[in-house]
Amino acid sequence: MAKKIRLAYTAAALIPLSVLAAACGSSSPSPTSSNSSTPAAAAMMGAALPTSPAKTPETVTETGSTLLYPLMGSWSEAYQKAFPVSSTSSSPLVTIETGGTGSGTGISDAAAGTVDIGASDAYLSSSDMTTYPSLMNIALAISAQQFNYNLPTVKTPLKLDGTVVAEMYTGKITKWNDPAIAALNPGVSLPDITVVPLHRADGSGDTFLFTSYLNAQDPGAWPTANVGTTISWPSVSGALAEEGNGGMVTGCAATKGCIAYIGISYESKTQAAGLGQAELKNGAGQFEAPTSATISAEASALTSKTPASETLSMIDANASGGYPIVNYEYAIVSKKQTNGTVAEDMRAFLYWTVHTGQSATDYLSAVNFEPLPASVVTLTDNQIAKIGS
Amino acid sequence: MAAIARPGGPDGGAGTSLPRRAGAALRSAVRRGDILRWVGGIGAVIPLLALGFILVALLIDAIPAIRLNGLHFFYKSAWSYGGGYNANIVSTDGVKHLSGSDFGVLPEIAGTLITSAIALIVGVPISIGAALAIVERLPRRLANGIGIFLELLAGIPSVIIGLWGLVTFGPFIADHITPVISRNMPDVPVLNYFRGPTGSGEGLLTSGLILAIMIIPIVAATSRDLIRQVPILPREGAIALGMSDAQTARKVTLPWVGSGIVGAVVLGLGRALGETMAVAMVCGVALTTVPGNIYTTMTTISATIVTQLDGAFTDGSGFAVRTIAELALVLMVISLVVNVAARLLVRKVSGTALPVGRGV
Amino acid sequence: MSGTPAVQSVAGRGPGDPGYWPPVSRRRKIGNLAFWGVCLIALALVVVPTVWLAGGILARAIPNFHWNVLWTKTTGGLSGGLLQPIVGTLVITIAAMVIGGGISVLTGLYLSEFAVGRHRGVLRGAYEVLAGIPSIVLGFVGYIALCVDLKMGFGLLPAVLVISVLTIPYITKSTETSLAQVPTGYREGAEALGIPTSWAMRRIVLKSAVPGMITGFLVAAAIAIGETAPLIYTAYFSDQFPSAQHITHQGVPYLTYVVFYFSPFEQPSKTANILSYDAALVLFVFVLVLILLGRTVAAIARRNSE
Repeated sequence: MAKKIRLAYTAAALIPLSVLAAACGSSSPSPTSSNSSTPAAAAMMGAALPTSPAKTPETVTETGSTLLYPLMGSWSEAYQKAFPVSSTSSSPLVTIETGGTGSGTGISDAAAGTVDIGASDAYLSSSDMTTYPSLMNIALAISAQQFNYNLPTVKTPLKLDGTVVAEMYTGKITKWNDPAIAALNPGVSLPDITVVPLHRADGSGDTFLFTSYLNAQDPGAWPTANVGTTISWPSVSGALAEEGNGGMVTGCAATKGCIAYIGISYESKTQAAGLGQAELKNGAGQFEAPTSATISAEASALTSKTPASETLSMIDANASGGYPIVNYEYAIVSKKQTNGTVAEDMRAFLYWTVHTGQSATDYLSAVNFEPLPASVVTLTDNQIAKIGS
Repeated sequence: MAAIARPGGPDGGAGTSLPRRAGAALRSAVRRGDILRWVGGIGAVIPLLALGFILVALLIDAIPAIRLNGLHFFYKSAWSYGGGYNANIVSTDGVKHLSGSDFGVLPEIAGTLITSAIALIVGVPISIGAALAIVERLPRRLANGIGIFLELLAGIPSVIIGLWGLVTFGPFIADHITPVISRNMPDVPVLNYFRGPTGSGEGLLTSGLILAIMIIPIVAATSRDLIRQVPILPREGAIALGMSDAQTARKVTLPWVGSGIVGAVVLGLGRALGETMAVAMVCGVALTTVPGNIYTTMTTISATIVTQLDGAFTDGSGFAVRTIAELALVLMVISLVVNVAARLLVRKVSGTALPVGRGV
Repeated sequence: MSGTPAVQSVAGRGPGDPGYWPPVSRRRKIGNLAFWGVCLIALALVVVPTVWLAGGILARAIPNFHWNVLWTKTTGGLSGGLLQPIVGTLVITIAAMVIGGGISVLTGLYLSEFAVGRHRGVLRGAYEVLAGIPSIVLGFVGYIALCVDLKMGFGLLPAVLVISVLTIPYITKSTETSLAQVPTGYREGAEALGIPTSWAMRRIVLKSAVPGMITGFLVAAAIAIGETAPLIYTAYFSDQFPSAQHITHQGVPYLTYVVFYFSPFEQPSKTANILSYDAALVLFVFVLVLILLGRTVAAIARRNSE
C-alpha cells in the first residue's frame, strides 16, 4: 500500500516535468495537446497518469493478438518518434517492442511476466481471472466481426440470425435454399448449394466472438459450453477448419457454399475475394451490416453496461441500428510490475494509445477499428492507473 | 613450434602463478592430449544432458495430465478445454482442470501414422527410382546438377513448403486430380477410401503428399550416394550372366544397398513424423476426426501442438498446456521408438546413412 | 555409366539367334525400357515439385521486389524492409553454430578419438536419439522450461539453445564421420615422429577432416535458418535489432516468422504480404548460397586430396 502511495507521489511529481519536456520538444507531436481530459481523469481517480515516459531509457515488450499487431506496430512507431531521448536525438526514450502470434500467448506471457503487455481479442477467461488475479483487461479499441459467404449468384446481402447460423454449424441446415434461410430473405432466390461451415483451426478470439453471438441469440441451438476460443466443433460433413483470418478468406473464396466468420480488419480482402457479407440480426430484431456507424451505435449502447473491469463482449445489445458482433481489443496487463520505471512507461504508453492513439485517420482506420467511446476511455484510464509496482 | 606453445598459452598464464611442477604437468598433459580428452569428454556429455533435460521437463509438465487423462486418452476422439469460456476450475484427484474438459488424441496419433505412411508409400519408390536414374542413366555433369535440386528441396524451409501446399499444390490437386480419382475408384474395400467428397485440397492426401515431397530429398540423396558406392564387379558379373541392366539394378544393386536404404527411409520417416508447419497448414486441423476417406481434413500430433498451444493458454487451470505436454511426450516416444529400432536394424551400416535434413 | 554399353550388349545379342531368342530379347528390351522409364518418371517427380516450388517463390516475390527491403528497417510492424529479421536470423544462426557447433566438434572429436566401448555407445546413442526429437517438441520444451520455468522470457538465449540442440546431431555426425575417415596411418606416422598428440590432432587429423565438418556445419546452418516452430515460442518476434539486451526477456526477429505471420493468412495488409514473399525469397537465396558453399568446399577438398 505504502508502495502504491509513494508511486502516486512520484507520478504526480513527474507530470509537471513531463509537460515541460513536451513543451520543449515541440518539434515532435505533443501528446498533451490532444489530452485535455487528462487532469479531469486524473483528479477523478485520485491517482496520476503519466503523459510521457520516465526519464531513463527503457523497453516495454508487447506480444499477443495478430489482429492488434499492426495497430500496436503503428502506435509504437509513432510513440517512439514522439518521445526521443532528447530533442536533438531521434533514438526513442522508450522502445516498444511488438510481436504477434496469438491472443492466448499474449495472456499467458503477461501472466508469466515474460512480456509487459499482452494483446488479446478476448477478455480473460474466468479461469484465467481465478488463476491470475493481478491481470487486468484494458480496452484499447473497438473491433467487429463479419459473416461471409461464397454464393456468386446472390447479389444482395443475405440476412442471417444466430439460430440459422447455429443450425448451419451443427448440420441441421445443409442447403442454402433451406426454408429457414429463405424466411429471413424474402424475394432473394437462394441457390441449391450445400452449406460448408468454416471455422478456425487455431485457438482464436474470433471463435469466441462468433460462438458468443450464436449463444446469445439462441442458447437452445448453441449451448454455453460451446462458447470459447477453442471449442469442440459439432461434426458436420464437409466442414473445414482454416488457419488464421486470412485462411478463412482464401478457404471461403475457394469453396462455393461456404460460410465463415472473419475479423473486420479483413474487409478489403473479403471484398476482393468476392465474398458476400451478411446483415446480422441484432438484439432489437433489425438486420445490420458492419459499418462504422452500426459498430459505433452498438458500442455506445453498451458503454453504460461496461463494468469497471471492462470485461464485456459487446454482443447482441438491444441498440437500434447497432451491429451485433462488436468487441473490445484488450491489453492484458498485470497490476503488479516488478520494475517501477517500466510500470510508469507502460502507464504512459497505454494512456497515449487511448488518447492520441485513438485518431481514426492516423491509426485505427487502417485496420477498420473504431475508437473507444469517451466514457470507456475513462474506464480504461482508471485501469491504467492501477498498473503499479 | 609456436603451434605447440599456443594451446599452452592461456594455461601457461595460469601456470606462472602455479608451482613450477604443476605447470610442467599441465604442459605434459597438453602434449599427451589429455586436455583435449577432458574438454572433449565434457562436450560429449552435453547431448546426453540435453536429452535428459528435455525428457524431465516434458515429464514434469505432463504427469498430472497423464494421471487425469488416463488410458482412454489414446483411443478416444475429443478435444475440449472445458465447458466454455466461463468454465470453473475444478480439481479431480488433485489435478486442476476446467469443468467438463475432455481429451482424447486418437485422431492425432492416427493422423501422424497415416500421413507418414502415405509419405513413405509415395516418396520411397520415387526416391529410389530417381536415385537409380541419376546414377545409372544421367551423365555425371547432369547428375551433379540434379543433385542441386535435391539439396534445394531439402533446404527450403518447411513454412514455405506449407504455404505453397496451401495456396498452390492443394487447390491444384483438389481441382484437377482428386475428383477424377474419386469418380473412377471402384467401391471395393480399401479402394473405397479413395471415393467420396474430395474437399478443398486440405486434408489427408495433401498432407501425405507434402510430406512425401519433404522426405524425397533425404531418401533420394542417401540412396544415390549408396548406389554410387556399389562396386562395379558384381554388376559386371550380373551383366555377364545375361541380366539386363534393369535386372541388374533390381537384383544386384538395390539388394546390395538395401539396409542402407532402410536407414535412409527411417530418417525420412523421422522427418515425416515430426514435421510441423507444412502439415499444420495443409491438413485442415480437424481435432476430433479420424480420417474417413483419403480426402478428409485431419490432424497430426505436431500440427495440433503448434495450432492449439495458443488457445491452450486461455485455460487458466493450465491443464490444456499439460495435455499438450503429454501429447508432445507421445510424439517423442513414437519418434524415439522408430529411431532406435532403425538404428538397431541398420547398425552394421551405421555411418553410411548420414542425416541430411529434418522437419521444422 | 556402365549402363549404356550394357544396353547395347544385351540388345546386340538378341537378333543373333533365330526362333526362340527374339521375343525374349524384345521382352527384355521392353522390360528394360519400362524399368528405366519408370525411374526417369520418378526423377521427374522429384524435379517438378522443386521447380514448381522455386518458381512459386520467385513468381510471388519478384514482381514486387525492391532491393531496398534488404537494408530498410521494418517499420510499424508491417511495412518497410526486412533488415531486422535478416540480422536476427543471421545472429541466431551464427550463435547456434558457435554454441551447438562447439559442443558438436568436441563431441565428435571425443567419440572418434578417445571414447571406447560402452561409454562411446551411450554418448553416441544420446546425440543420435537427439536427432529423432521433433523440433516442435524442442520448441515446446524450450518455452515451458527455459522461457517460463527458468524465467528467461523470450530472447536470444532460449532460441539459440533450442536451435543449438537441434543442430548438434548433424555437426557431431559429420565431425565423427570425417575424423573416422582420416587414415590411421596419419596418426601412427605422427606418433612415430614423436609429434605431441594435441599438435598432431590439430595440424594433421583435424585438418584433413575439416571439409567434412564444414559440410556438417552448412547443413546445420540451413536447418537453423529455416526453422519456424521451435522459434515461435522461444524467440517470439520483435521489430528491434537483436542486441545484448535481447539475450533474455526481449523477443528477436527472424525471417521465417515474417514468412508465416506476415502472409495473407495472418495479416490483411498488402505491404505485410509483400514482405512475407520477400522473406521467402531471401531464405531461398540463403539456402542456395549454403548449397553452393557446400559444393565449393567439396570441390576444393577433392582437388587437395588428388
